[in-house]
Amino acid sequence: MPEDEKPIDEQRRKFLKVVGVMIIGAGLAGTLRSVVQYVIPPTSNVESSFPTLLLLLPNGNPVHTSDLTVNNPSVVTFDYPLQNEPNFLLRLGDSTNNDVKIESTTVDIPATGGKYQSPAGVGPYGSVVSSSAICQHLGCIPPELRFHPPSATDFPGKIHCDCHGSTYDPYKGFSVVTGPTKAPLPGIVLSYDQTNDTYSATMLVGPTIYGRSSDLSGGNPISSAGTTVTTLGV
Amino acid sequence: MNDPQPLPRKVPDYMRKRGGLWYWTGAMVMIAFFYEAITGLILFLYYQPSNAYTSTEGVLNLAYGSVILTTHLYGAYIMIALVYIHLLRNLFVGAYKKPREMQWLTGIVLLVLTVAVSYFGYSLTGDVLSSDATDVARGIASGFPVIGSYLRSIFLGNGTDISLFTRFEGWHIIIAALIGITFAVHFFLAEYNTIMPEPNKVGYEVPAIDKEDETYKPWYPYNLLYMTQIGLFTLSLIFLIPSILGALPSVPALFSPFPQVSATSPLASQVPPYPPWFLLFIYKELDFGISATIGPFWATVLFTGLPLIYLLLIPYIDRSSTLKATKRPLMISTGIIGILYLVGLSVWGATSPGVPVSNVVGLLFFVVPLAVIIPLVYFISKKIESGKVRATNAWKIYVMISFSGFVSVLTGLTIYAAVRIGAIFYTTAAIFLLAVLGVSITTLYGTIYGIRKSEEPKRLSGKGYVIFGGIYGFLAIAIVSMISIIPPTTTLNQSLYGIGMGLLFLIASAYIAIYRSHEYNE
Repeated sequence: MPEDEKPIDEQRRKFLKVVGVMIIGAGLAGTLRSVVQYVIPPTSNVESSFPTLLLLLPNGNPVHTSDLTVNNPSVVTFDYPLQNEPNFLLRLGDSTNNDVKIESTTVDIPATGGKYQSPAGVGPYGSVVSSSAICQHLGCIPPELRFHPPSATDFPGKIHCDCHGSTYDPYKGFSVVTGPTKAPLPGIVLSYDQTNDTYSATMLVGPTIYGRSSDLSGGNPISSAGTTVTTLGV
Repeated sequence: MNDPQPLPRKVPDYMRKRGGLWYWTGAMVMIAFFYEAITGLILFLYYQPSNAYTSTEGVLNLAYGSVILTTHLYGAYIMIALVYIHLLRNLFVGAYKKPREMQWLTGIVLLVLTVAVSYFGYSLTGDVLSSDATDVARGIASGFPVIGSYLRSIFLGNGTDISLFTRFEGWHIIIAALIGITFAVHFFLAEYNTIMPEPNKVGYEVPAIDKEDETYKPWYPYNLLYMTQIGLFTLSLIFLIPSILGALPSVPALFSPFPQVSATSPLASQVPPYPPWFLLFIYKELDFGISATIGPFWATVLFTGLPLIYLLLIPYIDRSSTLKATKRPLMISTGIIGILYLVGLSVWGATSPGVPVSNVVGLLFFVVPLAVIIPLVYFISKKIESGKVRATNAWKIYVMISFSGFVSVLTGLTIYAAVRIGAIFYTTAAIFLLAVLGVSITTLYGTIYGIRKSEEPKRLSGKGYVIFGGIYGFLAIAIVSMISIIPPTTTLNQSLYGIGMGLLFLIASAYIAIYRSHEYNE
């Protein structure tokens, strides 16, 4: 019995197409959801609070005041609070290389309009200060971002970034001198142990370190009790 | 050759009929390969060669990381299995014959590359199975005359862990890229030589060329929809198997979808010292008495290199112009023997890893199948040729016989394990294998004696399409909403998500089948 070619019911065809699109949509939704959620890396606070880390020389001994040169043109940095987060360690002086006592000042954050108190200098002369060495503009690090001693011809007594020209004043809490940066360098609160003549990093003040959602997440903790100082000759 | 055609070529309707999956084993390999490439690349977002084991374990704790890692592993397992099936199918059909010699040769290259990429991929985990496989590989590579130590450092690094895992990572990607390139050659050769038509359509004579005529339907939308259907089916396998295994309480190390314990953990001593299952045959061959005498490298050459050379030479050994399976008893019997050797060595390696085998037992293992299978196949072929046994598709019968034999060996071992060990996994596996065995024996019976089929496959009525289509559609929505409220926090939840996705792909595949039946009467 030859069956005649029946015309396909248009209503039914439309229905089947709609259901087909629905199933494809369901499959895509299920797949995309998992892939997107998988690709976003998990954020975890690797440290619940700021660690206190003793500053150490590469040979493992603590940093003493005599190890620090006043107005050192070489870049001296240490990682804090996590790995791969460099910070300046500066012993500031005047143009004749005598220690200058650094007072705590109120620093403006032009980006947000906020203010905070910068940490005062520590050490026997109150001249040792520290800040994040990651430029707040677009994240350049030493040696592109570096301290120019007061005797230098370019940017004397300032921290200047060669990348885009941001300038900070380490004598005034690393505040912004000229743009394009819109935030000062976050200050490291140092503590000085007078009996042993040693320095420790204890916390950060000011804006968040450049490129981080918070100072304590998105990296690996420094597992030892101290952080090692490295010197980059310039 | 056929006239140049717009690529890809049109194919005859019978390839898309029920049971046509048999013609698409290569396409299924391709889909598994693409899935592997995509998931492999996004797994590298979290892999650290300096921290191989911990970072692999860490992926399990990411949102949906467990689904991606386990399906990447099982996608590879399914790809390896499909590569073997594709190879054997073409061996039994005679697809290696003129004009497809180059397709066969690139296919063998792809087999070697697939096993190699799987070795490097599995080794990336740094777990105990990976470490065992690496130790053996180091021994084999070192034994290569003259350049052994260079080979070892080229593939396995300078001896430090970071160098080892960085090399594994590099070679995993390099070999995957080589597979992509070789596959392109393989695929375009297939397009050039046309599909292998059913042998009876060309009178069982080479060259078997598919002649296109006006009954061939255009590639779009007919073949595209069919390809999507089998692609979704393959994906559903890739999702369902590891997710179901992942939801089971305990699965033996060889089939566990998760990385095993770390090679340096004290628990590693409780895992039998064997490599991933697809390398078990190489592992066992080193236990033979002769292997101890000649060293691991020459043993690998003997037990793996010689069969490979034989495979490469097949198109030049069997130069007859016939495609009839019964007139190629040598190829058929060596194919069956190859399966027996491969499965036998693997099962042997799994049950008694590292136990030495005396030369006499080893010789018996290799000689008995030769002495039994070759005369048997010659005998059966004669019978079929002389018309005493009637069979239209002899090669299908041979495939089914070897498959059923393989499944019965596995079933026997699993039932033994279920009784001896009593783990729920073996009981489940035994029931599953018994079902597979039942189906394959029924199919075998049906192939030999020809179960009478209705001339036209039953079609649904108009209402039937609406009802089934609607049910599938709402099932899909229901599954997606169910799996989207399961939080991906635990491995079990992620396995449930994987099962859901697998079912979703299965439904989508079945839906396309219904749609094709409704729209194109296929």
